[in-house]
Amino acid sequence: MQERVLIVDDHPTFRRFARRLLQDEGFVVVGEADDGASALDAVRELLPEVVLLDVMLPDVSGLDLAERLAGMAGAPAVVLTSSRGASDYGTALTHSSARAFIAKGDLTGAALRAAVTLQ
Amino acid sequence: MTSLSWKVGAAVAFAVGATDVVLSAYQGVTLSDLVVGTAVNAVTISAGLVVWASRPASRMGVLITVWGICGFLADTVGLLPDSRLGATVGLPLVLLPSAVYAHMVLAYPTGRLVDRVDRAAVGVIYAAALLWSLPLLVGSNPSGCTDCVPGVPSLLFIGQIGPLRTIGQGFSALFIMLGAAFVCLVVRRIRRASPGVRRTLWPLALAAVFGGAQFIARSAANLFGFASWQETLLWLDRASGVAVPIALAIGVLTTRRARGPVGNLVVELGNVEPGGVRDALARTLGDPTLELALWLPDRGTWVDERGREIAVTETPTRAVTLIGHELAAIVHDPDLADQQALLEAAGSAARLALENERLHAELRAQLDELRASRARIVRAGDDERRRLERDLHDGAQQRLLGVGLALQLVRARVPDGEAAELVAEAEQELREALRELRDLARGIHPAVLVDQGLGSAIKTLAKRSPIPVGVSADGERLPSHVETAAYFVVAEALANIAHHADAGHVDITVRRENGSAIVEIRDDGRGGADATGSGLQGLADRVRSLDGRFSVHSPPGSGTCVTAEIPCG
Repeated sequence: MQERVLIVDDHPTFRRFARRLLQDEGFVVVGEADDGASALDAVRELLPEVVLLDVMLPDVSGLDLAERLAGMAGAPAVVLTSSRGASDYGTALTHSSARAFIAKGDLTGAALRAAVTLQ
Repeated sequence: MTSLSWKVGAAVAFAVGATDVVLSAYQGVTLSDLVVGTAVNAVTISAGLVVWASRPASRMGVLITVWGICGFLADTVGLLPDSRLGATVGLPLVLLPSAVYAHMVLAYPTGRLVDRVDRAAVGVIYAAALLWSLPLLVGSNPSGCTDCVPGVPSLLFIGQIGPLRTIGQGFSALFIMLGAAFVCLVVRRIRRASPGVRRTLWPLALAAVFGGAQFIARSAANLFGFASWQETLLWLDRASGVAVPIALAIGVLTTRRARGPVGNLVVELGNVEPGGVRDALARTLGDPTLELALWLPDRGTWVDERGREIAVTETPTRAVTLIGHELAAIVHDPDLADQQALLEAAGSAARLALENERLHAELRAQLDELRASRARIVRAGDDERRRLERDLHDGAQQRLLGVGLALQLVRARVPDGEAAELVAEAEQELREALRELRDLARGIHPAVLVDQGLGSAIKTLAKRSPIPVGVSADGERLPSHVETAAYFVVAEALANIAHHADAGHVDITVRRENGSAIVEIRDDGRGGADATGSGLQGLADRVRSLDGRFSVHSPPGSGTCVTAEIPCG
């Protein structure tokens, strides 16, 4: 099964390598967005099944954006990511409606797939 | 007071008396009227000249002199043989002394009308006093009116005026109102005056209320035609005239007696605490609104007794008296300016105490500056840490993460063998480097503190601690400098406990009390912590830089309790 993924991150280097890595591992990367507003547009337009979402975006917190995405019809599975570790966000991650959190240093296709299939 | 001004005063009094004697002989005025009238005017003019000469800065002398001259002119013109000229000049002068009297009372003791309401009232009183006679000069009542005042033969006479009587009654009613307004203003003046000024004001105020009341009675008698009252009212008028110089004399004597408190001031200043000179001066001068300003020559500024910079400016409602050469200034009730001698005596008595007060204020100012600059340095340091953490996160960390992802791509593309092993090794090294970098950034300034506040940040610290930690903290956000200081107190305390305390459990509480954040870290370890060690000393400095309090309670064998209290203001 080839999941359709949208990558949301304001660092172009990360987006570029993450796209190739996920494609290598069988994902279909349908698009990229560099902030919260364009991420919302892209989700409405491209209807991804998975959104790999950076916690710190320039215009909005990834945690807030995850809540908005969860409220949409046909909500995609949101996986949060950050260059910081999970403990740097205190209890905020456990209260989030996102499916999972993967530190950027630990990102692999397998980790993402495991997170998405996690129920 | 020069002997010349005494001589001028005596000469004028003599001239006034002689003129009235000659004219009254001509007119056949009774002796008692002559003696009383002449005495009042002569004494008033002389007293005015004496005050004028002895206190040229005060306008009271001018006003008293003018009042006396107006009284003399009004009386003298009344004694002139009947003539159109005499009536034309004399009639407008009849009420002028009353107007000057009102002006003088309301302007006492400086001779200046400071209050806007007083100025307006005096203006209306002057206008009414000059204008009331005009209708009587230009016209006469209709010839058929039996109980009307007969017309005055003046140079301005035009003819009969129908409503002349009504106009006269209108003026009488206006005078009653003005008299009442005057009494109200005098009472208001007394109520508003500071105790020191009230001491000198009350005799004149009593005389003025008496004068105002008799003026109202006289106007009422005119309005309602009580002719039989006239004789009594005339004597009351004379009595109220005499009451004023007596009241002024009592006022002056009271002021003299008030110099007694300067002696008490000297005694009081012997025991005064730093910052207490203002209160002592305020008590001595009877002005609770008094402000003390101290001159700091090195800075070229005025400061109060706490070393805070203040402006010293003279306004219509605040007067300034300088003490010593570039030492201090008293900002006070302008009415006190009339008691220059008392102000100077108090200032001289307080000079040594003021020198001390100034040193104290200078020290306070320097301490305040030092405290403010220390807090600024700590805050600037915190801002710099936050910026550094952000730079690490956005810069080096992102690039290394990119390299990590690139290595994963490479690993997938090289066949198993030495190259693949090298790539895997590089990935492992990179992961370690990233972990170290993350720890470094977290130590510089934790992101969770900025994003979610102190409670969450402390819970994160608790999770990483090797010793079980209980945390009691609500989610309330505090000012960022308070959160940062409190966070580092907890982080350092936990590090100390892990290294030295041999503890089994730690309890951390954060609460807000009386506008301060109170952080307490308590362990059940071996105690006996050295509060002067560089770690705890650094924390104490950081907390004190924010005007906070820091304490370490660590009896040997009974655990350690570190407490920081940081004001949130």
